[in-house]
Amino acid sequence: MRANRLLPSAFFLGVVLLAGWRALAATATPNIPVLVPITGFLAAEGGSQRNGALLALRDPPAGVRPQFNVTDTGTSPEGAVNALERALSDGQPSAVVASMLGTQMLAMLPIALEEKVPLITMSGTADITRKGNPYVFRFFPTDSVVKGAQVRYAIDAFHIARPAVIAQTTAYGQSGQAELIKALSAAGITPVYQDALDVSVKDMRPVLAKARAAGADSLLLQLHAGPTALLLKAAAAMNLGLPIVAGSGLAQPSTVALLDPAEIKGVCAETGSSPISAETPAMQSFVARYRAAFGADPDGFALGQYDATMMVLQAVAHGAGDAAAVTKALASESYPGLAMTYASDGHGNMAHSAVIVCYDGVSPIPKIARHYDFPADSP
Amino acid sequence: MIGLQLLVQVLALGAAYGLVALGFVLILNATGAVNFSQGDLVMAGGFVAVALGDRLHLPGLVLLPLLIAIMAALGAAVALVAYMPLRARPPEAVFISTIAVGIILQNGANRLFGAEPLAAPPLLGVGPGGGQVRFAGVTASVQSLAIIAVAALLIAALHGLFVHTQFGRRLRATAQDREVAMAVGIPVDRMIVGTFAVAAALAGAAGLLLSNVFFVVPTSGGDYILKAYIAVVIGGWGSIPGAIAGALLIAAFEVIYPSLPLLLPALNALPDSDGWFSQTVSTVMLNLAVLLILFVRPRGLFGEPIGQRP
Repeated sequence: MRANRLLPSAFFLGVVLLAGWRALAATATPNIPVLVPITGFLAAEGGSQRNGALLALRDPPAGVRPQFNVTDTGTSPEGAVNALERALSDGQPSAVVASMLGTQMLAMLPIALEEKVPLITMSGTADITRKGNPYVFRFFPTDSVVKGAQVRYAIDAFHIARPAVIAQTTAYGQSGQAELIKALSAAGITPVYQDALDVSVKDMRPVLAKARAAGADSLLLQLHAGPTALLLKAAAAMNLGLPIVAGSGLAQPSTVALLDPAEIKGVCAETGSSPISAETPAMQSFVARYRAAFGADPDGFALGQYDATMMVLQAVAHGAGDAAAVTKALASESYPGLAMTYASDGHGNMAHSAVIVCYDGVSPIPKIARHYDFPADSP
Repeated sequence: MIGLQLLVQVLALGAAYGLVALGFVLILNATGAVNFSQGDLVMAGGFVAVALGDRLHLPGLVLLPLLIAIMAALGAAVALVAYMPLRARPPEAVFISTIAVGIILQNGANRLFGAEPLAAPPLLGVGPGGGQVRFAGVTASVQSLAIIAVAALLIAALHGLFVHTQFGRRLRATAQDREVAMAVGIPVDRMIVGTFAVAAALAGAAGLLLSNVFFVVPTSGGDYILKAYIAVVIGGWGSIPGAIAGALLIAAFEVIYPSLPLLLPALNALPDSDGWFSQTVSTVMLNLAVLLILFVRPRGLFGEPIGQRP
């Protein structure tokens, strides 16, 4: 009697265990280490990169359960190389979320090539995709894309003819300045004033006064976040009254938080994406989840790294079982992310769109003024 | 008018740099050791000001006494942890220990406040800015004028402390000759801890003044220690008036050199005038001036000359 009662229970338990085992066997468990700078001078941007990756890794597509560890690479190439070697010693990763710092990427590239592991990054350094390394994938628009959008918008919206170009002396600033000059030159425009500022420069009034004295009709900026805020504060205090199209430093919510909205009335900026402007329900959902998880507003780096990580996870969900298959998927497939549709140009450049955002002087949240899409084979 | 405008900017920037350099010199005189964490104490002061501003919603001027007290306690702690146990060791040990303190402060700030730039409240008011005033054809921010006034008051208070109080006289005696000070019964160890406290308080005040206008990030200290070091080298190793003069000179190079074509329009006729008077060349010129001063006056502008009797 008792055996009769137990039999159905045992059968049911067996069915449940079998189903569980089959489900477990069908679940992919890719190893995706996150190696980003979360201390040092790039900690703010690296923190955004980490958060974007974590949001994707914690909420992967069905059938994928990623394993991941976050390692702080600091800002030295040695820190990045050590972090990558340690990650590799833990087992072959399917892909690595890699630092956005160009010098660290350049140091990691030979190891990625040797170990045949794809690196997904937000680094803007042009050289990383010029070395013929098939294992690097950049999900942030290159300088030629965003600077092209910055110049096009300045011409379209403000009809600039005599711009002043103010950049930083860092690699980021110089690379962007060169692209700005190239794009202006293509439009037949020569800047009336150019200057490059060290990141330690505190007083921006002299450079603004010289730009005005040179007869500039607009300012095109390529500055890091803090100097962007300093310059815009000074411009507002001087009542400069010139159209300003800034670099992506301004599009970071933390930069805008340093400024009174009135100080950036009418100022615009280029960026890969502006998640807080949340144009679509999917983007609004992303922003809400990000705020709930990290208590902060996401920026373009967070969104780009989220999209990059989701592209890898989708590839795994569709059967990419190892690093080689993930590399092939990244190199050959396109992915409709939240910010844009990503596809490799054959060199690992995945992002080919940029947006221009503008501030109305009241809200710290910018409005998207224009989208620019550049063909993958342009610049 | 532009000359007066630039002068206000130089004084505001130089006054804040002067506070950083003063703290650096005080410890140098009292211990003979270079405190490489002085810049990071400025950064810490900036973040403490941000934290106090967020919680208390009071103007910076009201927060200043509390900030000074907190930073003085931090300075005393730095002395007890990074200097006192190593005071009998070679000076390199203190260099390294203060560098370690700086790194700990940087990473602590990163952990507590994050890596994004933050702004402390202005001295007057609690909003992001402090307003503008116009006088004699010059437009200046209230914050810039308040920085000049507060820094001048702090320097005067420091002078009063050293000249008119027993504590100050003991500090000076310790700085001049530790052995003799000890021999006459001055508690030298306590005086050294007191010097670290005063230096950190000055750094904290500088942090509050600078971080409203120029923001603060965990890595800000590196820039400030470099400026303090250059100011002290220019002014004369260990000279208090020299440190202030050196700080003003740095500010003058940062503000006036790039503006020379505006002050003297004839300079615009020079080939590549923009290049010659750029911010980058201004930094090069400042450091060439440092080399020149060291060549002509190796002890700095206010340093005592060294000579040998025939």
